[in-house]
Amino acid sequence: MAEKSRIEEMARKISSIKQATNELKSMSGGIQAVDRNVDRILASVKMLEINISDLTEVL
Amino acid sequence: MADNDIYWNPILETLPREKLRVLQLKKFQRIFKWAYDNSPFYREFYGNAGIEPGDIKTFDDIRKVPKVEKSLLRDIQTKEPFPYGTILSVPIENVTEYHQTSGTTGQPVYQADTWQDWEWCAETWAYILYAQGYRNYDRVFIPFGYHTAIAYWMGHYGAEKLGCEVVPGGVLNTEARILKIQEVRATAIMATPTYILGMADTARTKLGIDPAKDLNIQKITVAGEPGGSIPTTKKRMEEAWGAKVYDHVGATEFGAWSYECTYQSGLHVNEAFFLVEIEDIDTGELITEPGRRGKMIITTFDRQAQPCVRFDSKDIIEWSPDECDCGRTFRLIKGGVVGRADDITKVKGVLLAPTSIEEVVRSIPQLGDEYEVLVTKKGDLDDITLRLELVPGQEDNTDAARKVLVDQLRIKTGLGYNLEFHEYGSLPRYELKAKRFKDMRPKEH
Repeated sequence: MAEKSRIEEMARKISSIKQATNELKSMSGGIQAVDRNVDRILASVKMLEINISDLTEVL
Repeated sequence: MADNDIYWNPILETLPREKLRVLQLKKFQRIFKWAYDNSPFYREFYGNAGIEPGDIKTFDDIRKVPKVEKSLLRDIQTKEPFPYGTILSVPIENVTEYHQTSGTTGQPVYQADTWQDWEWCAETWAYILYAQGYRNYDRVFIPFGYHTAIAYWMGHYGAEKLGCEVVPGGVLNTEARILKIQEVRATAIMATPTYILGMADTARTKLGIDPAKDLNIQKITVAGEPGGSIPTTKKRMEEAWGAKVYDHVGATEFGAWSYECTYQSGLHVNEAFFLVEIEDIDTGELITEPGRRGKMIITTFDRQAQPCVRFDSKDIIEWSPDECDCGRTFRLIKGGVVGRADDITKVKGVLLAPTSIEEVVRSIPQLGDEYEVLVTKKGDLDDITLRLELVPGQEDNTDAARKVLVDQLRIKTGLGYNLEFHEYGSLPRYELKAKRFKDMRPKEH
């Protein structure tokens, strides 16, 4: 049960990072130095989702 | 149970199998829907088969999804957008990585990846390398040409992800690579089994370097050929380098799906990233039990630009009856990829797997690492010639080697061969995948 709670908490943090990153992109006004780096962050966030967030559906 | 420190992701890698299966079904549903929604090819392909995302509710439903073959990919890639065709599932401006298959069996297949896909590729390699004991203190030398083949590109990025220091051994020749390995005191290398053996031979014969004594390599990851899972070939590599050798299997179209861990019990299928099904070659029946060979149908769960859903790989594999002591719940396959459904050829009416020949050749110490198999036709009969090299100084032992070869080849393959002994160093050497099996019979065979 503690493991499940820990994973769910990590998943919430991952979701927050994703949301904040998307917000950053939406306020960039098209600055490429922001948008492209946001895309890279989001790619890494996706790996966190695969490694952690996806598990919340099966635990 | 093993120490948690041996896992890249201890949660996923030790997930109870019933939960792993639930996860796999959810991931299959997700990639199937992605392909259906975003790829014109898949939309039409599945539409013609009368299947759509809502139809996939169980593992049995997955079996109803039509398979994709490489020949179909080639056809798709004659269409727009160039060069990937209608399988492409993202806007082409989102593609950041181009690779292609070698094209040895026909027109190359082009592989598109977005940056996210490429992160995914590196992630799959992070699982492999961490399981094989790579850590952030390793200095990894990659003796690879860094060209359009995907080969060790993924290994490079995966090692970086672990925090390893990666030394690219790109355009150097073999001698220069060995000297660089020595100069930087590299602790690990990645290459095909053929090249690992070839480098050791070059080090000894041309540079007077004994890799096992004079270099600092502790672990080697091999791929691209079955040698890492052939015990006699693995033994030769480990002895030549004084290092542990770990196998891994992957492919351009679907990625790095399996790996050996430090326990060396077989190849783990990364079931959190892939769905591997084994089918009977003749009947298509699903094989779930160990010890029965079939061809692999593979689905890649989260690589999106060019989805790989139920790809008929034609690789021949079998489930292992064993569990690995490492504690991973990912299932093992036994003996790696033992051949290909379109490569396990009938010779003299007998199914011949080239790996069986390699197992015999590499078990005989008088013989060098290289060999070639030529299948020709003499009248109506198949004829097999096995070309070999004797290790220098073993020329007087030809008869002894011949006797063992005849006996062992008969036992392992059920066939007789013409044996030709050639001068050491005269057979072709390869840097990537070796092409030792040459079927010269007329095409209609």
